[in-house]
Amino acid sequence: MSTLIDAPPAVRLTGITKRYPGVVANSDINLSVRRATVHALVGENGAGKSTLMKTLFGLHQPDEGTIEIDGQARTFASPADAIAAGIGMVHQHFMLADNLTVWENVVLGAEPTSSGRLDGARARRDIEAIAQRYGLGVDPRALVEELGVGARQRVEIIKVLYRGARILILDEPTAVLVPQEVDELFGNLADLKAEGLTIIFISHKLDEVRAIADEITVIRRGTTVGTADPRQVTNRQLAEMMVGSALPVPELRESTVTDREVLRLRGVRVAGVGRDVLSDIDLSIRAGEVVGIAGVEGNGQAELVDAIMGLEPVADGAVELAGRDVTRLSTLRRREAGVGFIPEDRHRQGLLLEATLWENRCLGFQTRRPAARGMFLDRAAARADTRRIVEQFDVRTPGIDVLAAALSGGNQQKLIVGREMSGDPALLIASHPTRGVDVGAQAAIWDQLRNARAAGLAVLLISADLEELIGMSDTLRVILRGRIGPPLDPRTVTPESLGVAMTGGHEAGGPDLPDTAGTDRPEQPGQAGVVGSADRVAESDLGTAGGSLSARKVTE
Amino acid sequence: MKALSGRRVLLGAAGPVGALIFSAIVSAIILVLTRHNPFEAFGAMGQAFSRPRVLVGTVNQVSSYYLAAVAVAIGFKMNLLNIGVDGQYRLAAMLSAALAGASFMQGIPSVVRILMTIVAAMLIGAAWAGIAVWLKISRGVSEVISTIMLNAIATAVIAYLLSPGRLAVQQGNNLGTRPITDGGMVPTIPIPKSITPLYTLLLLALLVGVLYAFLLSRTVFGFKIKATGLNPAAAVASGISVKRMAVAGMLLSGAVAGLVGMPELLNGPSHQYSINFPSGFAFTGIAIALLGRNHPVGMAFAALLWSALDSSANALQGVGVPNQLVVIMQGTIVLSVVVAYEIVRRYRVVLEQRDVARALAQSRKEPVAA
Amino acid sequence: MLRTRSVTLIAGVAAAALALTACGGGSSSTSNSGSTTSESPTSATSTPSGTVPMSTGGGSSSSDMSGMSGMSGSSMPGGSSGGSGASSGSGQTSAEQFPKLTGDPGTVKLGMAYDGPKGDQSFTDSAARGVANATGQGVQLVAELAATVGEPDQKKVDRLSQLVDQGANTVIAVGFDYATAMGTVAEANPDVHFAIVDDASLTDPSRQGGPLKNVAGLTFAAEQSSFLVGVAAALKSTKGHVGFIGGVNVPLIQSFQAGFDAGAKAANSGIKIDDKYITQPPDFSGFNAPDKGQTIAQGMYNGGADIIYSAAGGSGTGVFKAAKAANAKAIGVDSDQYNLPTLADVKDVILTSAVKNVDVAVYAMIQSVAAGKPLTGTQVYDLKNGGVGYATSGGFVSDIQSKLDDYKAKIISGEIKVPSTLG
Repeated sequence: MSTLIDAPPAVRLTGITKRYPGVVANSDINLSVRRATVHALVGENGAGKSTLMKTLFGLHQPDEGTIEIDGQARTFASPADAIAAGIGMVHQHFMLADNLTVWENVVLGAEPTSSGRLDGARARRDIEAIAQRYGLGVDPRALVEELGVGARQRVEIIKVLYRGARILILDEPTAVLVPQEVDELFGNLADLKAEGLTIIFISHKLDEVRAIADEITVIRRGTTVGTADPRQVTNRQLAEMMVGSALPVPELRESTVTDREVLRLRGVRVAGVGRDVLSDIDLSIRAGEVVGIAGVEGNGQAELVDAIMGLEPVADGAVELAGRDVTRLSTLRRREAGVGFIPEDRHRQGLLLEATLWENRCLGFQTRRPAARGMFLDRAAARADTRRIVEQFDVRTPGIDVLAAALSGGNQQKLIVGREMSGDPALLIASHPTRGVDVGAQAAIWDQLRNARAAGLAVLLISADLEELIGMSDTLRVILRGRIGPPLDPRTVTPESLGVAMTGGHEAGGPDLPDTAGTDRPEQPGQAGVVGSADRVAESDLGTAGGSLSARKVTE
Repeated sequence: MKALSGRRVLLGAAGPVGALIFSAIVSAIILVLTRHNPFEAFGAMGQAFSRPRVLVGTVNQVSSYYLAAVAVAIGFKMNLLNIGVDGQYRLAAMLSAALAGASFMQGIPSVVRILMTIVAAMLIGAAWAGIAVWLKISRGVSEVISTIMLNAIATAVIAYLLSPGRLAVQQGNNLGTRPITDGGMVPTIPIPKSITPLYTLLLLALLVGVLYAFLLSRTVFGFKIKATGLNPAAAVASGISVKRMAVAGMLLSGAVAGLVGMPELLNGPSHQYSINFPSGFAFTGIAIALLGRNHPVGMAFAALLWSALDSSANALQGVGVPNQLVVIMQGTIVLSVVVAYEIVRRYRVVLEQRDVARALAQSRKEPVAA
Repeated sequence: MLRTRSVTLIAGVAAAALALTACGGGSSSTSNSGSTTSESPTSATSTPSGTVPMSTGGGSSSSDMSGMSGMSGSSMPGGSSGGSGASSGSGQTSAEQFPKLTGDPGTVKLGMAYDGPKGDQSFTDSAARGVANATGQGVQLVAELAATVGEPDQKKVDRLSQLVDQGANTVIAVGFDYATAMGTVAEANPDVHFAIVDDASLTDPSRQGGPLKNVAGLTFAAEQSSFLVGVAAALKSTKGHVGFIGGVNVPLIQSFQAGFDAGAKAANSGIKIDDKYITQPPDFSGFNAPDKGQTIAQGMYNGGADIIYSAAGGSGTGVFKAAKAANAKAIGVDSDQYNLPTLADVKDVILTSAVKNVDVAVYAMIQSVAAGKPLTGTQVYDLKNGGVGYATSGGFVSDIQSKLDDYKAKIISGEIKVPSTLG
């Protein structure tokens, strides 16, 4: 530590201010990142993290303030300048061409040539060298479309390293990963750090941040509010720095589960290409009950939602809503029968981004009051009800005539939640209801879910956030390869045990993962997060889930 | 919010106005390069409109262009590219002209006759469009391909039917349906000092425009069209049957397309569908729908602009400038307007996001609610 | 994302549509701008010397010209007499085909309305040639305006009215599609002299409201000349297999086909005749699509035809190219296309041309106004008065000329009635 203090910091930002007309996106930002460390930048969505990173990556120029790299003042007119200075950015959404191979993706835009021709052999050699040196296991010849999410992320990192980056910016890198992949990523980051690279890690997942970071800078409303030592700070303290209030806790109080069955799936099968994507699904949700579905993405959750919503035909079995067989009913009829739907991807299925808020209010309700009266739209009533939702669900917007695209993700989601909970639904399908929303919105959405549950709503909750899933469910079911496991009691399940069950009972990490846990990573006692403890927990807590899953495997 | 909507109008106008200025500059450059005097050329274009005849001609032309644009826009609104408006209106005009000109229609009261003609045209247009949408729904054929092919088929069908002994009579070297007698025609309004009378079916275009506006903004059906166009996945998730909407939208588009030929047929001087019947309105309609952003009022202005440019072609030639300049101007306007709209659209989203951010920043000065 | 894509797609479609419209509108590279002077026609004026539209044996027809009211008897024979010799054709001067205007040419203020752009080497250019000869002699050309494809009648009304507005006292519309519009404009301007090529409906005595007194309908018995080239094709075909390519499938062009078929069958009853039209109305681009003409001709030659009659205006250039490539022959139309400088590299394949002297008709109209006796009523230009004929330039038909002239005499005498519609 003391030796590092003498060296100039890898990155030092002083007094960075960036204004957009009428709005200050960043003001007086101060950030100092020591070389060969992982520096976490945390803050709510919309706090200004991305603006700051765009400044550092040369995507725009600050109005005030200075950037120093390795002690030298720099100005970046473009990302090319930033790359030349050794800065690389790994975006949250991968920017890879699916139909190209790994090495082609890596060299894209920086192709090595020998006498004017693309030198593929050299590229593959170089990439293999990088992969080996930093422990980023990936086959350069593999097609990107065949890779999993974790591997794609490694490709993104290799891409940046290939361009000579010494300072890596990772924007929400864990948002798309399951716990085991997060583990793996953190192993890679430790390797990178050991090789002398500097990493700026942007996140709002506090457990992860505390697990990986050497230092944390908190940003709030466009300015840096302080730094924290991850070994001493608690989640609660960090959360307070971020939002000025306590971190919301996903938890249900006393059980409100009734014995009135709202949704019943009987032996539902959904056919996919070549094989069934859902088979033999039996599921029951009662009024006042939240049933959480845990599973690694792509194991049939989307199809389960589609089958219940009538978006995908059911090959076998029946869907019953409050005792009524709705298997053959259209999506519209099911919605009219009282099914609310918070889709997994709000931009794809939940919103008309280029329509106003009140028009979005009508979506899914176009045949019902208050949106419609007969064949005509009831604009006045729809608008009035939109105002109600805006108020009741704390959608922060200057009015109901702005386009949905203008709202932040959290506020868009609150609008959707408000919409789907209006009209007294009997069943709510909540697919990743708090994905990509800030802490404040998350708390609000959880509150609404709790209230509706208390009022007798039946909820199907699907989430990749295991804490949310465990905390907000009355019953948990694990979905794996299109089959659903037996009910689990969330009180006896931990994120770790659930993670193991989701991957089919394998040990966390799996055989093909580099065994970095516990060696390169500093010990962090008392940590409540996912990382570093999965192995330990897997043996003890997994009894029910793991056991039953392996039993099912035998019968398969 | 008032300021916001004022700005929206301003931004909406910025695209076409900018494109218009840009295309004028491009045209001026072309004129200079081809050794013509741009001031003389633009002057002649302007002067043309001092003649009542040209003004009336411009207004008359608007009806067909506007109807074509609405037909196209209904499809565009839901990402259905009805390239077949051309075939739909020609087939509709031909068959309904044959009906209107038929001898058994003579005894029928004028109003009924005219209504029959118009309704027949709408049904034929819808039916022809229906083939394309049927292919799309049942066979997954892209409506772009099928409507283009149907245009060619319509041409062949018309050529077959439009021959002596079938639906046509030959007059000199012209070949057309039996001329519609006066009772089957819609009266026009004579305008002083103009050899061309004012076409009263402008009112039909106006009516269609009002209905189109009402449909889009006030009805559930219009909402469904909009939702389907903006985000098909969200529409499906909201219980809107995208297939059913495609069928309804395409039939509606075809029905309006059937009306495109009506002003020319029932108000025009030739009283028949002949081999000289105007063609190409549909492609103009596409350009106008694009220019007017599928908006009922925007398209009206765009149709007027387009028609005015058309009308100035003769005057341009009068001073020795090739009339192709008009086509160049129209083409430049369309291309630059597409670019301009995209820029304006992005700028508007950014502006709104800033508005929201600003409004929130203000609200945050009050104690922050947890 | 989706929206951007669809906008791009729409834009692409629109651009393509516009491009189509522009091409259809006859935006050939030839500019229409030579309105004030006879600049562009000058190059063409040299050709009429050789065009010699009148076919052989026309000398005797001078007396037949009397049938044409108001036309000075000397206007036609100049051409017809000169046309007798194939090789001598090049020696002619324009003065012979277009005799000096009599009366006061300065009183003629001419407005021209074409149905397509100039540069088609055929129909429109022929009319322009007549205009160029007149303007060289003091006739004042007010303006030359061209139509765009698919325009409504009111555009044509505006065009003709504008010519009157600009001061024209003589307005000639080249193309039957001007008929409706000219009816309207001629009625409104009784003091202006109008003429329309290829239309007789305005001057038809049975016209509703009576024939228009200030309109001359300049019509051509193109089926007669087509008959003769049909005979020539049948006699010259070694395979007994010929072809017909029409520009646009309209009655006017069908009359060319009817005559051609009749002639070919008269000469060889067992002959095989392929026929094809380049486009169908309302797509009138078939008169100006050399590429399509070439493709269709290639197909016909490959299919066994060895002589093709191209009644397709500007598209004929493509037919000639195909003929050259196939080492076969083709027959031109409207002008004596063998002698057009722009077709010099393919003239070897031009067996003959079915000449339709639009230039002579236009010139005659101008002459009549200059002489103070404007033409009115239907003027029929046929074999009898030399208004149509076949060309002998190149000498490819000299061996069968006597046979052709026999047929010609029989048509003139009425012994052979040439059909003008397809049976």
